[in-house]
Amino acid sequence: MSDQEVRDMNQSTAVRRVRRVSKVKKTTKTVFLTIVIHAVGIIYFFPVLYMFLTAFKTEAQAVNPAIFFNPTLQTLKRVLSDPNMLGFLESSLFQVIMGTALCLLLGIPAAFALVFGRFKKKATKEKLYVWFITTILLPPVAVIIPLYTWFQAFDLVGTPFGLLLAYVGFHVPIVVWMLHSFFSDVPISIIEASEIDGCTRFQQLTRIAVPLVRIGIFSAGLLVAVFIWNEFFLAFNLTGNTTATLPVYMARFREQQGMFRAQLSAASAVAILPPVIFGWLTQKALVKGLTLGSVKG
Amino acid sequence: MTTIRKKHDGAFIIPAILIVAVMTQVPFLLTIVYSTLRWNLARPDLPIKFVGFANYIYFLRMPYFPEIPEFYRIVWQTVLMTGGSLVVCTVLGFLLAVLLDHRIPGINIARTLILGPFFVMSTASGVIWKTTIFNTTFGWYGVLARAVGFEPVDLLSNFPIAVIILLFTWRWMPFFILVMLAGLQGIPDDLIDATKIDGASWFQSTFFVKLPVISRHATVAIMLGLIFIVKEFGLILVTTAGGPGTRSYNLPFDVYMQVFNASNVGRAGALAVMTVVLSLLAVTLVYRVVKKQSSLYE
Repeated sequence: MSDQEVRDMNQSTAVRRVRRVSKVKKTTKTVFLTIVIHAVGIIYFFPVLYMFLTAFKTEAQAVNPAIFFNPTLQTLKRVLSDPNMLGFLESSLFQVIMGTALCLLLGIPAAFALVFGRFKKKATKEKLYVWFITTILLPPVAVIIPLYTWFQAFDLVGTPFGLLLAYVGFHVPIVVWMLHSFFSDVPISIIEASEIDGCTRFQQLTRIAVPLVRIGIFSAGLLVAVFIWNEFFLAFNLTGNTTATLPVYMARFREQQGMFRAQLSAASAVAILPPVIFGWLTQKALVKGLTLGSVKG
Repeated sequence: MTTIRKKHDGAFIIPAILIVAVMTQVPFLLTIVYSTLRWNLARPDLPIKFVGFANYIYFLRMPYFPEIPEFYRIVWQTVLMTGGSLVVCTVLGFLLAVLLDHRIPGINIARTLILGPFFVMSTASGVIWKTTIFNTTFGWYGVLARAVGFEPVDLLSNFPIAVIILLFTWRWMPFFILVMLAGLQGIPDDLIDATKIDGASWFQSTFFVKLPVISRHATVAIMLGLIFIVKEFGLILVTTAGGPGTRSYNLPFDVYMQVFNASNVGRAGALAVMTVVLSLLAVTLVYRVVKKQSSLYE
């Protein structure tokens, strides 16, 4: 007997009565709900949906809001062959790949040590963890003035490495925060057993703890990648023409009152598609990471 | 043996501490130092000088008393924008999460669509809304308004704060829905069946059963949402640019204008420090209130 059957048998007659009476009502309700829910979804996403449509229009077609038209790849091709746009895209890719990799490289061992490490005083771990969390609260405006003056003084505006350092500094705490709860779920007995078997701390991390929390690592990495890809404030104030990222490029369209909307849409499509697709594909891991990381916290 | 292990444990965490400290803590301490200096980048002729709290007093004083200085108005605008979007995100977000908790055909498509805006960069969503929706001549708002027969007014300049609350909400509510939906899906079926047998109405089962059960999820969504929304900058810059005048400035935007337009490092520093203090106060305050509310249920 399957679980389901057992549950059905155990169900009180009251439940069954409620279910039978409402069967017809339930079908109408489901149809109604289906329509409402999908309508809400489409309306909510409409601005982005329409932007993707407009990316396939010519400038002339894009003047009037229309959902049915003759699609063309012309505008997208032009945007993707614009060396200007490609430069921004390249900077964005550099920041996301390097930034996420460095954040994980620094954040994973830190979170591990905060859970399993031994320090002279027991309170040190707790204090350091709280310290990491509070830096998440710090808004970027709190640091922008000194960073700006440093970047001017050491001429970091012309290289991507300055912004990269800032991104790593700002996003390592997020990795630490999310992974702290994932590592806390690893039974300490496993770690202790491996210690008796002669594992070094480093081996405990790479061979035992990391494989156990790979979902956490994946979702933390994903979240950081999306945050870096979309980050605007630091990028806007700390980069020059050669190092600016896509959000800065998108902001340039703000002055053109309704002009070049096909071009704007095509550029947006390129800028938006990677994180949106990434986010959708990994929804489940993200939800798990966010809720596990925070609901326990 | 033990000494070696201690050294190793430090090595695991020190690199992370260093980079976080150099990129966030040190600059913040420097900002506090700057806030006590008279330092104007546009006036290299004036020497940099210690002035104590003069920069703070510049913003806080009320020389023509009944008239409230700009700083207070910007604080109020920040509270309105952040608080307004937070309330809408929480209330509407909870209702939408309840709606999306139904098992209907294609539910994952609808969930995916509603989650979408969370991943869209702020500047892109700002320019998309501005040009394809809010534009009075060519945008959907303008076209639809004329179709029903009234002359569209420019929303961005007439109701800047409402527009910004709408955009903040649109961008961040998916996050609220995501977290609260995860909570709703964790509610055991037995509990829902039991409420049905007891004859609870939709309203009762939603607000007196489901809401208390997911109160921890709601708390998390509200706290993180507040932290995200209070530092929003890009959406304001690309849509209203803080205007008309300073009518849609929030504090981060004001700091930006002080550094990069007024070049006044000292005053910008004071403003940045006050922004941090006010943000932390808001976070603590909201945490207390939310905690109190949800502890009623526990």
